[in-house]
Amino acid sequence: MKRNSLLLTAVVAASVLILTACGEAKGQKSAGGDGETFKPKGNVTMVVPYGAGGGSDMSGRSIAAGLEAVVPGLRINTENRVGGSGAVGYSYFLSKTGDPNYLLPSETALLALPLNTKVGFDYTRFTPIMKVGDDFTLAVVPASSPWTTCADLVNASKSGRVVAGISGVTGLDNVVFTLTEQATGAKFDRVPFESGDELLAALLGNQIQVASLNPGEVVEQLKAGKLKALCAFSEKRYEYPELKDIPTAKEQGIDVAFAQFRGLIAPGGISDGARKFWIDASRKFIESDKARQYIASNYLQPNALFGDDFTAYLKENNDTLKKAQGE
Amino acid sequence: MIDNVILGFQTALTPQNLLWCFVGVLAGTVIGLLPGLGSTTGVAVLLPLTLDFEPVTALIMLAGIYYGAQYGGTITSVLISTPGEASSVVTTLDGYQMARRGRAGAALSIAAIGSFVAAIFSLVLLMVVAPPFADFALKFGPVENLAIMILGLATIVSFSGDSRIRGFAMAAAGLLLATVGLDAGTGTSRFTFDSVNLLSGVPFVEVMIGLFAVGEVMYQIRIGAAAPIRTRFRDLLITRNELRRSVGPIGRGSVLGFLLGCLPGAGSTLASFIAYGVEKRVSRNKGQLGQGAIEGVASPESANNAAANANFVPTLTLGIPGGGTTAVLLGAFTIYGLQPGPLLFQNQPTLVWGLLVSFFIGNVMLLVLNLPMAPMFAQMLRIPYAYLYPIILFTSFVGAYSIDNNMFSVWVVFVSGVAGYFMKLYDLPMAPLVLGLVIGPLFEKALTQTSALGDGDLLIVLSHPIALVVLALAVLLVAGPALARLLPRNTPAEEREPAGV
Repeated sequence: MKRNSLLLTAVVAASVLILTACGEAKGQKSAGGDGETFKPKGNVTMVVPYGAGGGSDMSGRSIAAGLEAVVPGLRINTENRVGGSGAVGYSYFLSKTGDPNYLLPSETALLALPLNTKVGFDYTRFTPIMKVGDDFTLAVVPASSPWTTCADLVNASKSGRVVAGISGVTGLDNVVFTLTEQATGAKFDRVPFESGDELLAALLGNQIQVASLNPGEVVEQLKAGKLKALCAFSEKRYEYPELKDIPTAKEQGIDVAFAQFRGLIAPGGISDGARKFWIDASRKFIESDKARQYIASNYLQPNALFGDDFTAYLKENNDTLKKAQGE
Repeated sequence: MIDNVILGFQTALTPQNLLWCFVGVLAGTVIGLLPGLGSTTGVAVLLPLTLDFEPVTALIMLAGIYYGAQYGGTITSVLISTPGEASSVVTTLDGYQMARRGRAGAALSIAAIGSFVAAIFSLVLLMVVAPPFADFALKFGPVENLAIMILGLATIVSFSGDSRIRGFAMAAAGLLLATVGLDAGTGTSRFTFDSVNLLSGVPFVEVMIGLFAVGEVMYQIRIGAAAPIRTRFRDLLITRNELRRSVGPIGRGSVLGFLLGCLPGAGSTLASFIAYGVEKRVSRNKGQLGQGAIEGVASPESANNAAANANFVPTLTLGIPGGGTTAVLLGAFTIYGLQPGPLLFQNQPTLVWGLLVSFFIGNVMLLVLNLPMAPMFAQMLRIPYAYLYPIILFTSFVGAYSIDNNMFSVWVVFVSGVAGYFMKLYDLPMAPLVLGLVIGPLFEKALTQTSALGDGDLLIVLSHPIALVVLALAVLLVAGPALARLLPRNTPAEEREPAGV
């Protein structure tokens, strides 16, 4: 019966979804094993707290594929748990405390969310595994802008109005502007947008005068000569050929550097053996071509850290964030 | 230009690319059919499967899913009043009424034809004038967006059915619901009751599934009288008269859809609402709109498809996504090692032109698929409701869960379903509620940004000519007939006042 083929398709597709969900639920508690010999049993789940296709999603999928390549027999499914600017995904991850079969591609929202919104977690509730790299921001202006350095920008803001676009009040680009204000006495008038893409459009359309964006978001516009970068808010200059000529803010007398990190965390309360397993696997991953490719195509600075070093980094970063938000 | 098109055909017509284009549009049609599973999710979920493909082949397939879903989303809107895609909500208004009168086949045919014409129209523009249009689109900043959102809200008058006050009340309810979540200006959480699920607001697709699909099923069960719709095969075909009546709506829908689709972020849902609103004002059969007029299907379906294709204008020329799905596609570019941006046309001519030509081929495939299928799909309504309704409920709830893998979505569908039942019972129109919920966050964002740009002064709108023109259109939409009757000359000062409220 032809007319039923449509329904059949719908039902089959729906059943597949249900079965996938059930499969997930079954795998949950099967993991375990203490001591040195930990090895995940069954499939591991990479929980991505943002929508498919975004930066977090790509980092999650790249790390998952990379880990599978360096650990024989490992299977990682990626699952998007979307909502609440990431809060839903992190909360779900919190509910997996003690289960080493879950991983989450983390970034600075891990710190920023608890500072700004009432959520049931902070970074201490999870097990930091690896920091893959740092994503700093560049101060970018339209090509027609009279400014050529961040010092120009700061001076202009002291004598007149400077309209800066930010990707949300809790966005990290806003943190960079605040840190610059605190360091130099500059003053920026902020217009809130919701994503880097919106900021790009607003810059290209001359609706805002400056924005602070990740290199990966603007490098093509820089190459095309539509935008120009004034300075990089990073400790050291970028080594990528298309970015190496951009001076750091520090070189221009503004002592501000703030990165969004990209990394990997496991749920809190997992065994030492499990933690060691994931850290060892991550060390192998970072040496792999997949990791290098991910870092290069997103223009990250490859500053990898593992385990305790990553935890220490999170603490320091959290303090900077708190300071920037006046707490 | 001609060289480029030839290059495009050379790329798109390889057997492999043709095959994957077909797979893409077919998958897209199915994805569009399923409530909850929109093209954004569909593209994102299927993306990992294409990693071993040639980049151009992968993008041809993924793009096929995107515009294929635009066709598929219509089918369930018409047949069972369940929009498969947000941009097909408006189609339920007249499409479902047509189906209940046995004209489902005609509604589906005109949707396919309208979508096809709109797609070809916007593709030609995309090839010929993409760069100047992209530059023009950049002139639309927060202030202009604010005006467009007001224009969108002004279409409420067209969706209110018999009672305007009920329409306004529902739109207001939608706008209020839209305030739940983190506010764009300050990051404060509003009406979330400490639930992380509500931080990103009341999810729109879930509400839509609940109101339209679940609500309709509950209501039909209450009536109990609805018999399967039996029609003769001849009635399933579109008549010449219906085709003739659709020419104008398809033309207007295509132009409006293309213009709105060029703007980053405006999207095809808004385009379909505005196109319907305009049709309700200018159509020769405006009185019948809402009661199953073919214009009410032709216009929004053309608009959403034109907008979907026009989304590629900012995406390909600037590297700025026009909407959710094109954002995922841009992500895919990066995965294949291509950098989307202003230099894409220059650096990757084979890829860009191959992709553009594949849009033509894909749309022809969709037309060929959908036209003969329309009567067949319409036959689905002959399934006894005892079987059809459980299936609708089942796909609605499973579809809702699949959006975010979150039980919260399922609860939202359930609650909106009950709300939808009572709204039908008390004859409250649902489209204005959806409109308010869709436009609410966009409107608020534009308002916050405009206010920030003007340093707290909203009068900066006055210094933006494009915004003033759009606002004037909004006034015409609301008060057009009354103004024409009372005072033939409308001055700008009079126009701004009501629109700014």
